[in-house]
Amino acid sequence: MRTLKGALLGGALSVVAGGAFADDKPEYGGTLEVGTVYVTLSALSWDAQDFNWKHNHDTGLVYEQLFAADLSKSVKAGGKHPFVADAWLPSDAMRGELAESWEWKDNPLRLEIKLRKGILWPEKPGVMKSREFVADDVVFAYDRLDNSPRKIKGYFDHIAKVSAPDKHTVVFELKDYFAEWDYRFGYGYFSGIYPKEVVEAGAKDWKNVTGTGPYMLTDFVAGNSNTYTKNPDYWDKEKIGGKEYKLPFIDKIVYRTIKDEATYITALRTGKLDLLENIRWQNVESLKKSAPQLKWNRWLNMSGTFLAFRVDVDSPFKDVRVRRALNMAVNKDEIVKAYYNGNAELFAYPMHPDYVGYFQPLKEMPASVQELFKYDPAKAKKLLAEAGFAKGFTFKVQVCSCNPDHMDLLPLIAAYLEQVGVKMDIQPMEYGAFLSAMTSRTLAVGYLMNNGHTNPTTTIRKSFTTGQQWNPSGWSDPKFDAKMDEAYRERDEGKRQQMLREMTIEILDKAPYIWLPTPYIYTAWWPWVKNYNGELRAGAVRPGPIYARMWVDQELKKKMGF
Amino acid sequence: MVAVADTVRTARRQRTPLSGPLRFMARLFRDKPLGAFGFVVCLLFLFCGIFADVLAPYGFNQISPINRLKPPSEKFWLGTDNLGRDMLSRCLYGAQLSVIIGLSAAALATVVSVFIGIVSGYLGGKIDMLLQRFVDAWMSFPDLIILIVVVSVVGPGMGPVIVILGLLYGIGGSRIVRGAVLSVRENAYVHAAQSTGASLPRILWRHILPNVMAPVIVLFTTRVGAVILAESGLAFLGLGVPPPAPTWGGMLSGSGRSFMYMAPWLALAPGLCITIVVYAINVFGDALRDLLDPRMRGSR
Amino acid sequence: MQAYIIRRLLALIPTLIFASLIVFITVRLIPGDVIDLMLSSNDIGADKKSREQLEAALGLDQPMVTQYFRWVGAIVFEGSLGQSLWQSTSVMQEILHRLPITFELGIMALLVALLAGIPIGVYSAVRQDTMGDYVTRSLAILALAVPGFWIGTLIMVFPSIWWGWSPEVSYTPFRENPLQNLGQMAIPALILGLAFSAVTMRLTRTMMLEVMRQDYIRTALAKGLATRTTILRHALRNALIPVVTLVGLQAPVLVGGAVIMEQIFVIPGMGLLLLEAVSQRDYPIITGVFLIVGVVVVLINLLVDLSYGLLDPKVRYR
Repeated sequence: MRTLKGALLGGALSVVAGGAFADDKPEYGGTLEVGTVYVTLSALSWDAQDFNWKHNHDTGLVYEQLFAADLSKSVKAGGKHPFVADAWLPSDAMRGELAESWEWKDNPLRLEIKLRKGILWPEKPGVMKSREFVADDVVFAYDRLDNSPRKIKGYFDHIAKVSAPDKHTVVFELKDYFAEWDYRFGYGYFSGIYPKEVVEAGAKDWKNVTGTGPYMLTDFVAGNSNTYTKNPDYWDKEKIGGKEYKLPFIDKIVYRTIKDEATYITALRTGKLDLLENIRWQNVESLKKSAPQLKWNRWLNMSGTFLAFRVDVDSPFKDVRVRRALNMAVNKDEIVKAYYNGNAELFAYPMHPDYVGYFQPLKEMPASVQELFKYDPAKAKKLLAEAGFAKGFTFKVQVCSCNPDHMDLLPLIAAYLEQVGVKMDIQPMEYGAFLSAMTSRTLAVGYLMNNGHTNPTTTIRKSFTTGQQWNPSGWSDPKFDAKMDEAYRERDEGKRQQMLREMTIEILDKAPYIWLPTPYIYTAWWPWVKNYNGELRAGAVRPGPIYARMWVDQELKKKMGF
Repeated sequence: MVAVADTVRTARRQRTPLSGPLRFMARLFRDKPLGAFGFVVCLLFLFCGIFADVLAPYGFNQISPINRLKPPSEKFWLGTDNLGRDMLSRCLYGAQLSVIIGLSAAALATVVSVFIGIVSGYLGGKIDMLLQRFVDAWMSFPDLIILIVVVSVVGPGMGPVIVILGLLYGIGGSRIVRGAVLSVRENAYVHAAQSTGASLPRILWRHILPNVMAPVIVLFTTRVGAVILAESGLAFLGLGVPPPAPTWGGMLSGSGRSFMYMAPWLALAPGLCITIVVYAINVFGDALRDLLDPRMRGSR
Repeated sequence: MQAYIIRRLLALIPTLIFASLIVFITVRLIPGDVIDLMLSSNDIGADKKSREQLEAALGLDQPMVTQYFRWVGAIVFEGSLGQSLWQSTSVMQEILHRLPITFELGIMALLVALLAGIPIGVYSAVRQDTMGDYVTRSLAILALAVPGFWIGTLIMVFPSIWWGWSPEVSYTPFRENPLQNLGQMAIPALILGLAFSAVTMRLTRTMMLEVMRQDYIRTALAKGLATRTTILRHALRNALIPVVTLVGLQAPVLVGGAVIMEQIFVIPGMGLLLLEAVSQRDYPIITGVFLIVGVVVVLINLLVDLSYGLLDPKVRYR
């Protein structure tokens, strides 16, 4: 039996490997089959101009960016960063990828970036001949984004001008300091740098995708897989165990697209996937039993779950007492223990615990915030009575039928609320209709959803400032908006962190949502996948640099029977 | 002479399928034991569905996190799900939903099939051609795809699912009714009625309809099974009747699949319910067809 | 006969126009339009100008009538079904990629249905109401009664736990590696085919019973003239009729795909293409798929009807 033999050998090998050469010597070659964090989604667009969020995820192995994560600061290397955040790099863990060094200059306020020299665009038949990567390429990529018919409004408003004074220098002139400067065009969703030749050949066709990165895109089967093959002339090196190695190690990387959960869990179990990044807690026990040699990492979902209350229409929720009451009426501890079986955290939104310096744990919060997370139906009833709802009321809640977790969670919340006399009228909606309701502001007074954190400034801005798309409650407070603006302009990170901490406390207190627990998600991989400890992103949804530094112990894989 | 005898014989044959239900039952149990078994199961299913409120020991949405994921025991005969709800109660209420959805959609489908089939088959000519082209176009799309599009337009819910499944199967089934009408309309007594100047509705109601009842009844029974299966397919794709409604399909494809390893009874209970009921409906339908189809009579 | 064929082919045109109009309009009625979805995929609010820009870029700012005629025009004059709103790739290309895959699955399923259903149907007709009849028929009906996605999930999950084996999850085209391709398709084809075999079985059984009770056969039997093989041979010729009917019935799946099997067994077919297009409101793909599926199925049905005329002498086309 494959699994039994594998288990015995795995056990034996781990005893041997325990001391001696643990993550040992890098090896070249092999293939890595990955079920990524977005295993159910296929690539939607190969053209940055489409402003599609998943672009970086698919092209991030081929197109490089000005900045990327400094993986030497990761937990496995002895640092403190797990690199799980979907679109944020801590300021002390950012390295220049295509940028060699950068410097802020004043009058006018500008960022001068010195690019690395000697990086080449590889030869691609039908698209371009090999040539040097120059500053003009950066300007070209930026301009194309800025002039895109699909551009996000105001995305680059902080930038006055981008220029290339010489072949290896790019200058971003800013109107005003902007806290997200590095996220917007440094390591962000759409900031992959690509040559104009790709656009001339047709940027929308995956066959024309070519970049300076460690891999080349060699195949794409929509709904099935992306295949990346090693770029033999890649410029970057990595020092491991004192010796310098040319990157990347693995010959071929394949993103597998599998829509069905049972199928991709099975694929991991039988070794058809070497790495699966997105595993729900329900599957962990069975995987651990049937594939005990798997290695694991656990991380808190980079997305907050909440039930939003509309405050911009006539409803009981205009009264903060009602909103706070309903928070206290829900037994959030029990949700963590019973619904998620302990695989969740009570308090992780809007600030995520990974946002070191911005996040404050619940015990450091003022009493008024802490009481929102304590189950107290008596107090809830009292508050409701004070607000004039002693007899309770009924309200409609919309939920997406596409999310099975939410569909199960909502009746549980409804059961809690019923105990304080508040009844819920559940209206499930199909995905497109659900999303549209929010964007067109026709949503019900209750709306159960998930919202990604993105980064410490965006997490507050996108949901709690006026007129934002992802602001389901319609929260609008000009003073709060002003504070947000100020935070964006604050150059000193320490001061900025303080401002954001205060804003977080303020919004938590005002409770525009029922703040719900955030579940843990698991990542698992087979022991032959080396130099990996569960890191997920080295840029906005970009795993490229991480994969480039992994290698496959092919001997071990064979020995284990796969 | 022959014509008259024929008319008399066919007239008598006209009454047989619907007369003497007791005699029919006797024949069912004597000649078609498998079908009889199916019939008994169907009755049981109907009974459970109608009296679910009385039979169920707990409510279908009685959430009790402390009792979650418990295997079958004395307290919970079929175990509990991840929110602590009793699976036996949920399955019983699921039967109720299946009865409602199944019977309503099948009834709607049958009415639609009969209407289209009779109009198309009897009137013939241009109307027939037009209707058949419409049926053709409709049938050329895979069932699930139409369901997906419509549920997306109208939104998930029991009402839309019933209406859509009813229309879908109704239009598809009209072919069978039409076929039966085609073979009946050439009968002598129909011509006799026409020559005596009977009105169209009268002819359709008194002469055509009773003689296509056999395939219609069989059609109805098979549709119930098809609807139950279709709802479970929609549930798998996330487009079925939404929770907390305890449809068997919803339970099977939702927590049944998520907890397949940790709590196999979550899938086993609704899965077996669907399988047994659809199986029973099908074997019963087959037996009905054998007993009612005039072409079959005389073969045994 | 020829006049009939021509008339049927001509009747195709108004049917298709009718169907295309319905599909075109219905799809746009689905709440939640594509602009909302695209704009909401990013975290900054979009204003009216961005909406208008995006609509124009996608050609959705024109009135419905214009869009419709543009679409029809593109089909008739350029043979193009337009471009996907999300990927900007040709709809025709997407469909042509997926159609052969779906076709392969459909044909394999049909073969399974025939190979399983016909023998059972014949057997249960000849041995009507015996234990053997009940057992074999029950097996076929059970294959139908168990929800496909459940069997599919069970087959996917449990062998992997017990024996560390699972079906292929990567698609390889048949010409590249026939064994691997079949390995992936075999199980879903089996599940689909066995479920469909109940229908096959029924049709065959009915056909056989009808043939067997015909007077001349009974007479021949009574006289001891005909042997069982003669009856079977004669009956089987008639069994081709249900086979052909089945091709007609299976046609929508042959062309339109089996969404559930595709999802579980990772087969990039037409079913999944449509499912994703609907959830993303990619109108050109939705209308394109419906059109192609509709055309091909109607053509298949036409062939089916014509072949009735060849097989069954009672059927005559005026």
